[in-house]
Amino acid sequence: MLRDRVLKALAPSRTVHAHCDVPCGIYDPHGAEIAAKTVSKMVALIVENEGSDLAQRNKLIRSVKVKEEHAELCKRELQVLWSDYFKPEHLEAHPDLHDRFWKALKQASTCKQSVDAAAAAELETQVAAIADIFWATKGGRPS
Amino acid sequence: MLAAVGAALAPGVMHLGRSWRARVAVVGTSMAPTLMPGDWLLVDPSAFRRRAPQPGQLVVAADPRQPERDLVKRVSALDLDGRLLLAGDARDASTDSRTFGAIDLASIRGRPWFRVRPMARFGRIG
Repeated sequence: MLRDRVLKALAPSRTVHAHCDVPCGIYDPHGAEIAAKTVSKMVALIVENEGSDLAQRNKLIRSVKVKEEHAELCKRELQVLWSDYFKPEHLEAHPDLHDRFWKALKQASTCKQSVDAAAAAELETQVAAIADIFWATKGGRPS
Repeated sequence: MLAAVGAALAPGVMHLGRSWRARVAVVGTSMAPTLMPGDWLLVDPSAFRRRAPQPGQLVVAADPRQPERDLVKRVSALDLDGRLLLAGDARDASTDSRTFGAIDLASIRGRPWFRVRPMARFGRIG
């Protein structure tokens, strides 16, 4: 088309860079790790919670709410890493990647359904293993 | 639109000719929303010949870390030695003087002052 040819002829030959060293997403497993740790901490607070006065009941409900929210946040953070950060070549080097994500997401759901310190600890372990893989693909953890 | 064309022509045909020859396309998003990737800009190569760039002005400057590449940024300040500090308008997604420090006046290539494309945003830029 003539218009395309004219535009091509007029197009600038030089570029200027509105540059950023990290142009797109900044990925970090830290968010998932913190969320998993928070779930563990909330399970501990719920288990410790004693008494039925209003203040205690308030504290209990707040702990459950935070556990629920951070288990969900943990899933969200994991899903972003899984869908946006990890690429097929990472899967070649870490063939168990999909399975690890799938299990960690399910583990986060288990932590929502239960008040189980062992389940929360397992979530932390699974998230930490994914973080290790993440940093392996980056050539090591930042010091 | 007519006003924009008038404003473009006002500084003179020479100026326009110089700027047209030095037109550039924007790559990257660190100047968003002022400049978007793919924008065509006219750059006046002699804009700063007599007067140093002032804080707030857009500049095209050689990348101090990769001098064959040109950057487009905004002057955020002049330091005590008269060197320029550059910043992207999108602070969260810009590599600028916070990383590479101040730049010399000699590395300034010109002033982007007019957007040709896209037509929807045709006109002077600040």
